[in-house]
Amino acid sequence: MDINARRTRAFVTLWTILVLVAIYLPIVCGALASLSKGRYFGFPVREYSMEWWGKTVDSIEIGMLTRTSFAVAITVTLLSVVIAFFGALAFARYDWKGRRLFQKIVLLPIFFPQPVLGLALLLWFSALGIQTSWLTAVFAHLVWIVPVVTLVISIQVYGFDPTLEEAAYDLGCSRWQVFREVTLPLLWPGVWSGMLFAFLLSWGNFPLSLYTAGADSTIPKWLYAKMVAGYTPMVPALGTMSTLGAALALGLGGIVLYLYRRRQAQ
Amino acid sequence: MSIDVKKPKPILQLVGVRKTFGDFVAVDRIDLDVRQGEFLTIVGPSGSGKTTLLRMLAGMDVPSEGNITLHGELINDVPPNKRPTCLVFQSLALFPHKTVGDNIEFPLKVRGVDKETRKARALELMRVVRLPADYHGKNVMKCSGGERQRVALARALAYDPEVLFFDEPLSAIDYKLKKILEKELKDLHRETGKTFIYITHSLEEAMVMSDRIGVMRAGKIVQVGTPEEIYATPADRFVSEFVGEVNVIEVAKSAAGTWQGVDLPGTYTIRPPKDEDAARAFVVVRPEFMRLLDEGETADNCLEGTVYNEYSLGSRLQYQVHVGAKVMLVEVPRGRLANAARDARVRLGFDARDAIVVGS
Repeated sequence: MDINARRTRAFVTLWTILVLVAIYLPIVCGALASLSKGRYFGFPVREYSMEWWGKTVDSIEIGMLTRTSFAVAITVTLLSVVIAFFGALAFARYDWKGRRLFQKIVLLPIFFPQPVLGLALLLWFSALGIQTSWLTAVFAHLVWIVPVVTLVISIQVYGFDPTLEEAAYDLGCSRWQVFREVTLPLLWPGVWSGMLFAFLLSWGNFPLSLYTAGADSTIPKWLYAKMVAGYTPMVPALGTMSTLGAALALGLGGIVLYLYRRRQAQ
Repeated sequence: MSIDVKKPKPILQLVGVRKTFGDFVAVDRIDLDVRQGEFLTIVGPSGSGKTTLLRMLAGMDVPSEGNITLHGELINDVPPNKRPTCLVFQSLALFPHKTVGDNIEFPLKVRGVDKETRKARALELMRVVRLPADYHGKNVMKCSGGERQRVALARALAYDPEVLFFDEPLSAIDYKLKKILEKELKDLHRETGKTFIYITHSLEEAMVMSDRIGVMRAGKIVQVGTPEEIYATPADRFVSEFVGEVNVIEVAKSAAGTWQGVDLPGTYTIRPPKDEDAARAFVVVRPEFMRLLDEGETADNCLEGTVYNEYSLGSRLQYQVHVGAKVMLVEVPRGRLANAARDARVRLGFDARDAIVVGS
């Protein structure tokens, strides 16, 4: 290996490490802060303890807002995946008049600044006399997440050969059998990825929940509120738990997808 | 033993079938009778409308005009899943998420046939299409091109259709394997006794397999006949050129009333075309019927030219001979001595019985 190639490789390694540190070190610091015995947010940690983790798990308030976050994320996941699935078929499978316009319009909400989107929705809710709660937050999340999930599933749809549906139909399937036997199983990895995206984006969403969840609090909303006033080490503790929860969901999702692909490849 | 010469009755009948997409006419008023149990190939260049025709027969497209009947019953609007027909796609359309066995059993599963019966039938069909039994649990995407063909065929047969359609399934297969599969398909046609309708752009492929061939051009069927008829008596210049490399000589009636080659001086004894009033016609001569004449040898029609190049076609040798501004092709069996070096002056000849005269 000549000196140039070695230099390039050293640079690439160094760069990768720098990026990883920049991304993951803050999360690690948050986790470490949550393990501090002290009452105040500080770094480095003087004395470690699991005390605040225990208090967080026992807290009734945190239990409630975790349930709310879960309810929002699960509802958003289920609704967005159904809407986005058919949206993705319209997006990538069928050729119809106005498809190009649809493709542009449907993706636009991804690029809206979320606080503006949240505010706009809040204005509409109050104009229509709708009481804001976790249900209105679900709606707000959907506005932003459905386009993302549509895009994720569309990628799978683009790789789908429509003749397979025709072949199944020709071999005696009803429309429903075509869907169940061919369309859905082949698009399933995309649907699953879309579900993961939906869950994680909703689980971690702050700006939309802040404006549209009303009196109901979600985990990101509570973290923010406690940082502004009434800090306790439960903030980094819950933040870390929330991150771990998301990582767990992602890991499980990845494993399911891996097993599914491997079973197919047999 | 007497031979039954009764004409087989048509299973599929097309009357004035037309298909338009906007202003574009893909299939233009086709009349065609498909006989029970025959192997019919529709051949034509790309864009001639053959795939559209097949899709209408399979029920995936509905004719804009005309009628398609199966056993005398109108089936224009009957969807593909309600027709006793099955299409083998160009891409084969095997289900990538299913094993070889599950692919073949698919039409049976859809019909609610129980697992054991399904598997028994699949194994039986795998024998028919010459797939090893241990392929039953194999991932279909891990099969080779030829194996996939067989899976697609077995799956279509599992549907137990009366008519099988093929949309150029051999087009992506290498030459050697294609030759094998062509023959196997013809054998399978014999074994199953079903009606096969095959489309391809390769007349060579059609010649090997078909009982009858229909040649399509610009949405119309130009000629229907046995491979021999298509080869020996093409309806027009298009069909003759489609069959392979041919020499086309334009001829015109001279003032003296004899027929002479246009821009091709020589001695001609061309019989006039059927249309007595015609002043022009085309004479089609296949390269194997164009001879290099020895000294003193004569033929009904003689031309003189210069050898430009020689090509080896395996069992034959082909010569490109320039006659005036025109190019003639001559083929001789390998091993026969032909005194035709490059730039040599040669005399070409063909007999009247080997010349096909077409009006257009």
